[in-house]
Amino acid sequence: MSDTEKGISRRSVLKGTAVGGIGLAAGGSLLAGCGDKATGALAYGARSVDAGPTAQNEALIAAYTAKTKNEVKYNATESNAFQNNLSQYLQGTPDDTFEWMAGYRMQFFAEQGLLADLTGVWDAVGDQYSESYKIASTGLDGKQYFVPKSWYPWGLHFRKSMFADLGLNADNVTNWDEYLKMLDGMKKKGLVGFAAGDKGGWEAMGTFDILNARINGYQFHVDLLAGREKWTDAKVTEVFTYWSQLIPYMNPNVLDLEWDGAMQLLLQRKAGSMLMGSWFGGNFKEQSEADYADLSIIPFPEINPEHGRDTIDAPIDGWCVAANGTNNDGGADFLKFAGDMEGVNATLAATDKDGKLIPMTSANSGQDTASYDPFQKEQLAVMAEAKYITQFLDRDTRPDFAGPVVGPAIQSWFKNPKDVAKIQETLQSQWEALPPLA
Amino acid sequence: MSIDVELQQAATKYKNKQKVKDRFISAIIGVFAIIWVFPIVWTVWTSLRPYKDVRANGVFSIPKTLNLDNYTQAISRMELPLYFWNSAAITIPAVFLTLFFGSLIAFVVSRYSFKWNVSLLLLFTAGNLLPAQLVFIPVFKMYITLGKALGIPRILYDSHWGVVLIHVAFQMGFATFVLSSYMKTVPKEISESAMVDGASVFVHYSKVMLPLLRPALASLGVLMTTWIYNDFFWALVLMSTDSKRPITSALGRLQGEFVTDYNLLAAGATIAALPTLIVFFVLRKQFVSGLTLGSTKG
Amino acid sequence: MSSTAKDISKVSRRRAFSKTDRTTLSAFVGIPLFFHLLLVWIPAVLTILLSFTYWSGISISRIKWAGLANYKNIFFDTPAFWEAVKNNIVWLGWFGLIATPIGILLAYQVDRQIRGHKFYETAYYLPVVLSLAVTGIIWDFLLRPDGFINGLMGRDIDNAFSFFGNYDINIYVILTIASWRHIGYIMLLYLAGLKSVDLALREASSLDGATEWQTFKKVIFPSMKPVNIIVIVITIIESLRAFDIVYIIYGSRGGLPILGTLVFSNIAGEGASMKGAAYAVILFVLSIGPIIAYLRATFKSDVQ
Repeated sequence: MSDTEKGISRRSVLKGTAVGGIGLAAGGSLLAGCGDKATGALAYGARSVDAGPTAQNEALIAAYTAKTKNEVKYNATESNAFQNNLSQYLQGTPDDTFEWMAGYRMQFFAEQGLLADLTGVWDAVGDQYSESYKIASTGLDGKQYFVPKSWYPWGLHFRKSMFADLGLNADNVTNWDEYLKMLDGMKKKGLVGFAAGDKGGWEAMGTFDILNARINGYQFHVDLLAGREKWTDAKVTEVFTYWSQLIPYMNPNVLDLEWDGAMQLLLQRKAGSMLMGSWFGGNFKEQSEADYADLSIIPFPEINPEHGRDTIDAPIDGWCVAANGTNNDGGADFLKFAGDMEGVNATLAATDKDGKLIPMTSANSGQDTASYDPFQKEQLAVMAEAKYITQFLDRDTRPDFAGPVVGPAIQSWFKNPKDVAKIQETLQSQWEALPPLA
Repeated sequence: MSIDVELQQAATKYKNKQKVKDRFISAIIGVFAIIWVFPIVWTVWTSLRPYKDVRANGVFSIPKTLNLDNYTQAISRMELPLYFWNSAAITIPAVFLTLFFGSLIAFVVSRYSFKWNVSLLLLFTAGNLLPAQLVFIPVFKMYITLGKALGIPRILYDSHWGVVLIHVAFQMGFATFVLSSYMKTVPKEISESAMVDGASVFVHYSKVMLPLLRPALASLGVLMTTWIYNDFFWALVLMSTDSKRPITSALGRLQGEFVTDYNLLAAGATIAALPTLIVFFVLRKQFVSGLTLGSTKG
Repeated sequence: MSSTAKDISKVSRRRAFSKTDRTTLSAFVGIPLFFHLLLVWIPAVLTILLSFTYWSGISISRIKWAGLANYKNIFFDTPAFWEAVKNNIVWLGWFGLIATPIGILLAYQVDRQIRGHKFYETAYYLPVVLSLAVTGIIWDFLLRPDGFINGLMGRDIDNAFSFFGNYDINIYVILTIASWRHIGYIMLLYLAGLKSVDLALREASSLDGATEWQTFKKVIFPSMKPVNIIVIVITIIESLRAFDIVYIIYGSRGGLPILGTLVFSNIAGEGASMKGAAYAVILFVLSIGPIIAYLRATFKSDVQ
């Protein structure tokens, strides 16, 4: 415990936009008095229809209703449809509380007046969360609009059994040269070294994030996404130069695969490593317990010694309360329960159809890390090594830039990797052409 | 006599040549027809196979079992009855209202002479051809604003009626166009005698014209049903409660939920396609004539 | 004005409308007109105005005048726009030169009742009644990296042939899928039109010794003018407005840029801006040409 505590004190957290953080500070479960009976029925908007999260949500809601007698109406939408429709959803007749993400994507809607102030929730359960979570939950006006639920790191995933078969040791893959050597070895054995998919237009953003952070450092990355640095900078060119070194080790059909296709490569032992958020572990578990036990994660290797492996994408998922909902108090009351260790425990107690627990790394400091499964413990270790935490490209910059501009730009780079200069110019000119915010 | 014979011979020769050619053409079209239905056959085939079997033995393996398990699973997990009900609750009123409004305008335009008749027709027909996305933001804002003003937030937004109305507003252009062309083929004497008899406009419409329109309305109705049933754009952007959305949205949901189980997805897709397929096979005649009502002018 | 309408107008001029009749007529026209204007034309005009502003689509008080900035951005700083224009042109060319003619020829052959014509008609028409959501799923089964075709080619997911991700060919892959529906649609449109062509005309020409092709070109095609116009306009409008199939296969981000998806990805969702409105207006301006041509052809007799 003391090690992780030290880890936190080392962390610098940038205030303002685009930064989230994960802390693992001690602070046992605190059964705060929450669940005010008077707040009444409410509606819950889920942005996933997957079996695992659904079972967890149902468990959480059942526990809340059992405690407060407040009925909760459950409205689940498939995640792409939910995101494509979020702006209309929040303006129209939103559910009282809904699942969303921390950072810029939350701040944007808070700033438009579409989210309700959750300072009260933070007064009640805030001491169960480290400071960095509070910052990630805070809007531009200094108030909290978000309650964190869980986090996951982006790192290099691989199968332990494959590494054993190949005679590889994950501990020996700490820098770029070692990594390329490993990829080369995999290629010689007829394997895909670096499983990649970008058909969805967001998957490869994670690769850009980590390369930029490794080569140019956290500060440059954040400044670039906030528009304080230019996309035409030679440092960005450098990112693409390194990226192109990975191309020979990628599957040739990057633009044909979505995240799940890339995952299939790893699942079917056709690929040696994959850079992805650890959330997909749930899909491995759905396949079989053995597949899940075989899954492992290490931090992306160092490239520039000046920055080491000090930065990581670790998106935080959680909840907001919609200002246009009919029961803001009810939504806040629910989040008081969900954010409290009592709610977290209810969520963690949920089981899948085979009666097994569903892994989740809670944002609440009260979750006993001793209860983590081995894969979760590795995630924690990857996390602990990082000094700076970013969310993800499409959570760290303007929404009208990330989705419509950066996504297609990276796809066109895959289409023609030599076109870097033109792509950089396009990115910069489109950034400059964005309408002024607010 | 000899000329006759010669002619006949030439005709026979021509017919024989044509017969050979026809066989050839028929064969080519036939091969493509099989290619054409193959994707559908493959989907149905996929839906009958258990996921585990395919995963273990590959897509091309000879199946050990074929069953309807995927269907029973898809039905229970997709909550299909609910989504079918939603589709019906949107499609049926939308089709009836479209036909009703379309027939009103078509009636006035084709039976009475006002100087703005043509402009009116132009307006409706052109409106039908505008891209839906052009109107999306203002329509959304209107729905929200009306809901707030009346204190009933879900009066149009996130309600079946809101989706019904936008379909009606768009499709009545096509209905007007088709029905007015059709009405022009109805003999004028019928209207004349009605008017001479002193029938009111309302009686003229409801008792005289409407019964005559029945075949056209049936055909158009079938066509509209498939168009509106198959839409997913408006149901996505004008609704926020997933359990109110039509079956086409449930498919997207299934796709997101079962990323790897294609067999289950295939069953879901087949079920979702069934209503339009049934409509097509049962009402094929109306379907065909509905498409051309407007173009051939009888 | 058609002769029927003229004759009736004579009738109606003979008497004045009663008050009830006038009310009835106003309601008959007024109510549909109200909804049509309110939900189609007024929003269309508003969107045109909005395309000259900066706005996230949320708070009305935050709309800011942008002049031509959105259009400038699209024309000069967005390579995806020009790619989309190119793709829409390819789409139009493919539909106009390949898919639509095939549909017409098919209709002609089926109409001649060649052997198996009943089955052919059904087979080619079947895809038209499927929703695009279903169509997308069906073709994904066939073309995905671990799908049927790659399986036939003996390729596995890690070295699968790229149908959707290869930018040199993916537009044609999508067009194949789109044609799968379009050909049947055109066939059926034309088929019903052909049923109204005088049989005697056709027989006469075949007895004259005219070849199949000549008969079609000289006799059938010209007599089908009204249907031809509809077919041409449908081809153009469908090519410009194409959206659903691309959205279903690629989602709203990139993949295969066409005007329809650019509108959607810029106007809906989190990243909404009035650049999306500007795209919609561009699409509108492009479609208005064929719309007017269509209307002129259809209403020529009425306008005189």
